[in-house]
Amino acid sequence: MSGERTVAYPAGDTLVSEGVIAPARAGRPAPARAGAAGEPLVVVEGLRVQFTRGGRKVNAVNGLSYRLEPGTMMAIIGESGSGKSVSSRALMGLLPPTAKISGSIRFDGRELIGLPEKDMRELRGGDIAMVFQDPARSLNPTMKIGAQITEAVRLHSDLDKRGAHARAVELLKLVRLPAAERRFHEYPHQLSGGMRQRVMIAIALAGEPRLLIADEATTALDVTTQAQIMELLVELQQRLGMAVIMISHDLGLAASYAQHVVVMYAGRAVEQAPTQTLFANVRMPYTHALLGAIPALDREPHSLFDVTPGQPPDLSALPKGCPFRPRCQYATDTCLQAPPLTEHEPEHLWACWHPVGAGAGHNSANGEQR
Amino acid sequence: MTATATTPRVPVSRDPRVSRLTRVTGSPVLRLIVKRLLMAVPIMLGVTILTFWVLSLIPGNAAEQLLGAEATPEDVALLERQLGLDQPGVVRYLEWLQGAVTGDLGNSIVSRQPVSDVLADRLPVTGELVLLAFLISLVLAIPVALLAAHKPGGIMDRISMVVSTLGLSVANYVLALILVLVFAVTLGWLPAIGYVPLEDGLWANLEAMILPSAAIGFPLFCFYTRFLRGDLVDQMQQEEYVTTARAKGVGSWSVLIKHAFRNSSFGLITVVGLNLGALIGGTVIIEQIFALPGIGQMLLQAINTRDFVVVQAAVVIFALVAVVANLVVDLLYAVLDPRIRYGSR
Amino acid sequence: MAVVEPAPSFAIGPEIDEAEAKAGIRGRRRGGNLGTWIPAGLIAFVVIACFLGPTLLSLPSPVGGNILESNQPAFSPGHFLGTDPNGNDILSRLLNGGQSSLWIALAVNILGLVIGGTLGALSGYVGGVADTLIMRVLDVLIAFPSLVLTLAVAQALGPSMTNTIFALAFFSIPAFARVARSAVLRLREMPFMAAAKLAGTPAWRMLFKHLAPNIAPQLITFGMLGMGIVIIIEGALSFLGLGIPDPAPSWGNMVATGQLSLSATPMLVVWPSVALLVTVLAFNLLGENLRARWSGR
Repeated sequence: MSGERTVAYPAGDTLVSEGVIAPARAGRPAPARAGAAGEPLVVVEGLRVQFTRGGRKVNAVNGLSYRLEPGTMMAIIGESGSGKSVSSRALMGLLPPTAKISGSIRFDGRELIGLPEKDMRELRGGDIAMVFQDPARSLNPTMKIGAQITEAVRLHSDLDKRGAHARAVELLKLVRLPAAERRFHEYPHQLSGGMRQRVMIAIALAGEPRLLIADEATTALDVTTQAQIMELLVELQQRLGMAVIMISHDLGLAASYAQHVVVMYAGRAVEQAPTQTLFANVRMPYTHALLGAIPALDREPHSLFDVTPGQPPDLSALPKGCPFRPRCQYATDTCLQAPPLTEHEPEHLWACWHPVGAGAGHNSANGEQR
Repeated sequence: MTATATTPRVPVSRDPRVSRLTRVTGSPVLRLIVKRLLMAVPIMLGVTILTFWVLSLIPGNAAEQLLGAEATPEDVALLERQLGLDQPGVVRYLEWLQGAVTGDLGNSIVSRQPVSDVLADRLPVTGELVLLAFLISLVLAIPVALLAAHKPGGIMDRISMVVSTLGLSVANYVLALILVLVFAVTLGWLPAIGYVPLEDGLWANLEAMILPSAAIGFPLFCFYTRFLRGDLVDQMQQEEYVTTARAKGVGSWSVLIKHAFRNSSFGLITVVGLNLGALIGGTVIIEQIFALPGIGQMLLQAINTRDFVVVQAAVVIFALVAVVANLVVDLLYAVLDPRIRYGSR
Repeated sequence: MAVVEPAPSFAIGPEIDEAEAKAGIRGRRRGGNLGTWIPAGLIAFVVIACFLGPTLLSLPSPVGGNILESNQPAFSPGHFLGTDPNGNDILSRLLNGGQSSLWIALAVNILGLVIGGTLGALSGYVGGVADTLIMRVLDVLIAFPSLVLTLAVAQALGPSMTNTIFALAFFSIPAFARVARSAVLRLREMPFMAAAKLAGTPAWRMLFKHLAPNIAPQLITFGMLGMGIVIIIEGALSFLGLGIPDPAPSWGNMVATGQLSLSATPMLVVWPSVALLVTVLAFNLLGENLRARWSGR
């Protein structure tokens, strides 16, 4: 299955072979759940986020669970409204006070839900940092970029003004911003999109985070720049030994860079596995449909994309049972019961009664697909 | 290494007129000034022509007013000739304009005093009134708006909402009378009416000015509070750079003051500038109530005595203030907002 | 519909923010309906009181009172709010004064809405030289100190209700024109406008069938706020003796005459002031509420 696809992005490993990366924690650690040495950095269990919008309750996240090992890169994949972004903002404590959050988020053994704002603030931009989607809107248009970085530096260190300046320039050099010293005194609108995102990354790195969340960090950029920024993120991740959660709607991007993939639908994880495992054997019909919608070079010219009918579910009125049921071609009455996310194969979890090509359920499905 | 070290790139315009202008002026800020000044000229011309026209519609003229009801038509005609009132309106306007561009606004028909002398007496009074009103309104509005916006829907937000809604519904002449009733008549803390020049002591002067400037300033305070609160809440809830700041670990007050307020201040400046024109018209009635010898009082008297030269001068001053205020707003924008300062956008 | 979103989606971040913004504002305007009905009811009360009150309560005439009955306190027999220095019944003057304030405000806003709205809509729709020309003229009117203009016009035409209406319409017109123009400029970009145009709809039909219904809500909302403004300015004119001529009552001239004996008989100022405040407040609240609704908040 994955062999059929042409991956548009250079593999993340190239940097390692070029020797750019510091040796510490540089190699790709064993995937999550492999029980590698030590505790996972992030453990999310049964996370639920509910908004009240116009009197209706909107269930943005419905019992999401995953764990993330230190120093690894994980991708959370899903359509808009799948809860991928909301769940990561919950992790940062960035949701509005009107959001109802339950479940558990443990970072380095510490429970984040219900953590006092003061402690959360120390964590934000310190141990946990975030890069956002649209660098044009994410930087303060009225502040010089230098000031925006030094602000972050000073919040998470004891450096004085001069020290913070030096550190900020260092960070700009770290993210390979050309002419860092000069750019320090410029405003965001004077920079290109890619440069702005480099600045955003520099800000995120200011607190020497152990976890970096990249929320659609390359979506607003053009394809070339996108690749450059992803390269930079992978390089920094390995060089600084941080863990990265990469949030994207782009399965191809995830396949190229992440070691572990979580696929989200309607606010819950529907399939998760190490990248290799996942793409070798996609089980969940939804993930399968996502893959089918990616254009590939070996596809017959003018052939139709596989299209999944229907709309993403209304989060304020989720269907009974499996949320993907109304759009799923394999759906049966069994699906009126919500399938649990279970480890059906080693390291490979999915939530489906009728997994694609797994032997159980429907045998004809695999042939039908391609 | 300073901000000016980077030379701003001026976008080359296809319009030959603009590019010539660009070459002459060089910087985008200068270009803006020139453009605005050029736009102000037709507005000022329009305003003065309109005044002349409106005034010419008013039945009766200064000659009749000066001579009283018993004057013979011959006497009136003679005085009209002496005052130049027998000339057609166009001629009078052009003569006036000729004087005005050289700084000569003519002599008052009634008192024969040069209008510029009258203005020199009156302008400082109105100027102080307006300045104090702005000071009072802004000094109060900014902290109140910040407090309200820090917790939308909170107790401070609700109180400020009620107060500002009431304040925006009170006519300033009613407010003035309430203030006089409370602080002058009942409590006796401040004088009810009258003006004390600055030479007679700063405190005595301020005592006389507090109530009138509060009467003008309070509705402004309400307006600015609402405006700023709304804009701050919008910034806090809709702008991604606020999320970035919070994600950095910046505290909620710092986000509000250092990030959101910085951006909201541009809108506030615009509103303040646009207000100035309307505000100066509002001084007419307040000066009347408090017997302050300012431009507004002068204008009312001049209208009653058909002293059109003085009316014209007052209108020019008012319009000029409005136009200049707009210009200053644009300039402040240009100086404060880096996006304009560097010629992009 | 493809499963993978076709274009980069900006949905999630702003979506949350929107939810929060809505929640925040809802918190402030709990019971959105009350926010409309209370001021609307208040306005209805003021209108009924002013126009039917004098007859229903068989109040004495607002003018030509008996000087022997001057300055009676409130609740005196036959004079619920007492009498003024000329012996006129204050309640009667208050209600009759309200009639003129409301008539003037209504007339000025309708004039502004119809003339200004049409000018602005045309200006925005036609664009080009006509637009520039109309807007420059309006710029002049706006730069022109409005009170000066109204003073001059009132003085020129002599104080009377009709003349006050004309004087005030002078500056309600440019204000409405601006609102209409910006609304039309926004609408012009809408797909349904392009569709109608492509279908060959003639210009007058575009204006009346497509534009007018869409900009009307905004203009009416603005008119609500305008009612408050006009009532205040009409009061100012009457206060300066250039609006409703004495001895006919108006809230403005009642405040003005009351001011002369402020320390002795403060109630002469208080009653018309309260009437002004309540009426203007009701219009402002209604306007604000409608505006909040139209802007989708």
